[in-house]
Amino acid sequence: MNPKPWWRRLGHGGLLLVATIYCVFPIYFMLVQSLKTAQEDIFGNPLIVLNPTFENFEELFARKGDVRGFVGSALRRSYPVLAWLENTIIVFAGSVAVTLVASILAAYALGRLQPPGFRWWRRAIFAVYVIPHTILFVPLYQVVLGLHLDDNILALVLIYPTLALPFCVWILSAYFQHLPREVEESALVEGASRTTAFFRIILPMSRPVVIAAGIFALGTIASDFTLASVFLLSEHNQTIPAGLGTMEVALDELLAVAGINLMAIPVVLICAVFARSYVRGLTAAMVEGA
Amino acid sequence: MRAATTTRRRDIQLAYLLLAPTLLLLLTVLAYPVGWEVWTSLTDLSPLKDGPPAFVGLANYRAFLADPEFWRAAAVTVVYAAVTSVAKLALGTGFALLLARPFRGRALVFLAVFLPWAYPASVSVIGWYWTLSPPIPTAYSVLMGNIKYAVDSAFGGGAWAFVSVTLFNIWRGSSFIGVFLLAGINAIPPQLFECAVLESKSPWRRFWLVTVPLLKPFFALAVFLSLAMAFADLANVWMLTGGRIVFPVIGTHAYWLAIRGGQFGAASALSLMLVPFFLVVLLVCFRIFDPPEGTGA
Repeated sequence: MNPKPWWRRLGHGGLLLVATIYCVFPIYFMLVQSLKTAQEDIFGNPLIVLNPTFENFEELFARKGDVRGFVGSALRRSYPVLAWLENTIIVFAGSVAVTLVASILAAYALGRLQPPGFRWWRRAIFAVYVIPHTILFVPLYQVVLGLHLDDNILALVLIYPTLALPFCVWILSAYFQHLPREVEESALVEGASRTTAFFRIILPMSRPVVIAAGIFALGTIASDFTLASVFLLSEHNQTIPAGLGTMEVALDELLAVAGINLMAIPVVLICAVFARSYVRGLTAAMVEGA
Repeated sequence: MRAATTTRRRDIQLAYLLLAPTLLLLLTVLAYPVGWEVWTSLTDLSPLKDGPPAFVGLANYRAFLADPEFWRAAAVTVVYAAVTSVAKLALGTGFALLLARPFRGRALVFLAVFLPWAYPASVSVIGWYWTLSPPIPTAYSVLMGNIKYAVDSAFGGGAWAFVSVTLFNIWRGSSFIGVFLLAGINAIPPQLFECAVLESKSPWRRFWLVTVPLLKPFFALAVFLSLAMAFADLANVWMLTGGRIVFPVIGTHAYWLAIRGGQFGAASALSLMLVPFFLVVLLVCFRIFDPPEGTGA
């Protein structure tokens, strides 16, 4: 290969720069803002922070409804952020776990055991995505009430997996389906049970695809705002998105931005750690699958 | 022979057992709500009315087809979905092509492209809203306010909110599609690209001759997911416009009817009207990304 001319390299670099700025800028903006003092937020340059401070994060946790006259005491609420954080972790971890277990089992059934009409089963599960969620939460509330899960984070652990399951079942079963028969057969011939063969051979092989399904589930679940704010009413039962939705934005803008980052940073870090596996898993699933 | 059929029968039973958790979850969460919505769309259920809801047949649907407001919402929805899908696909393809070949710092650019999707939309949408229409004086309020008024006065009140929903949807969706298509490009054997270089000198032609046909299943899946996201984006529209819907998409219109207007029958009918259209799109996509065994790529 002859080296590319300088102007092509420059064009490539320029495109990369534009793409990076386009993707990162809004996030950078929110991150910078959460590190600002109130004074700098109003008078400073919006694009940079001169005196970075964690006081918004500290205040988010420490705020104990300090009274500043009548209006102050009425408007300046304290927020149970620790409880929100705990709820969010339970809901996200629980939902992703439920999604993964259910979708791996279903995908094994469809891709490996192949009951009659398994393609149509898979298509039917995927077709769940055509259901519009617009006002679905109204009857869904009746279901949640019927299960006595109202104002309970378990309701979300039940509902969230349905947002990610169809896609996860799809990619996992496509992958399982196209693993060669021999992969398991040698183990089965030697007397191992299907279960052993699954845990010893198939599951380790499909690690990237499982990770891809998990990251997709996490990203999907973490993007829900509506369901969380509809089903979690009392302050102490809320997750971070639901809680942030109740903040008085006009007064607590900086606190809310800090709250956004409090939730986003761990999710982003998890996604970043697994980003490579995510792409590898999608590739593996689709190569075998399509 | 007998043993083989017994094993097969046991496998099938096991398959149904393993499918059970998924089906149970989906049925618990969705069966009753969907049934309720279908039934309600055939009635005039409304908390504002006395007495039990009356069965009205397809009257709700017929009323919408005759309602200019519905056609306006439908038009806005179609334009919104089309514009965002095309933009997401174009940007996503661009990202994927940029990242397809190795260069120094690729890992960092890849992470940057991955970020908008990984950054939880439930909270980033709040940030976008305040950034684009800041509620209290911050350093950028004046600038954003000026843009907002300029856009609103040019295209009508609420235009800026609509633009920001569109921008948000594109920003987040292009990230997802970019990473997804990158996974697709990685699946293409590099030899094919090398052959293509010999075949044609123009990168543009190579893209259409080699990359696009090979990525077709990925495109189809991405288009469907992006449409599903765009149509389901009620929460985004709702958040970003602060509840003031001047450009109703079908979703927000239905939400408005149900929650503000108390007309559950009409709202159910309205949101269900998207389903047939959506099913057709899905069936077309299935032909591309889930072809019958043996005929596919």
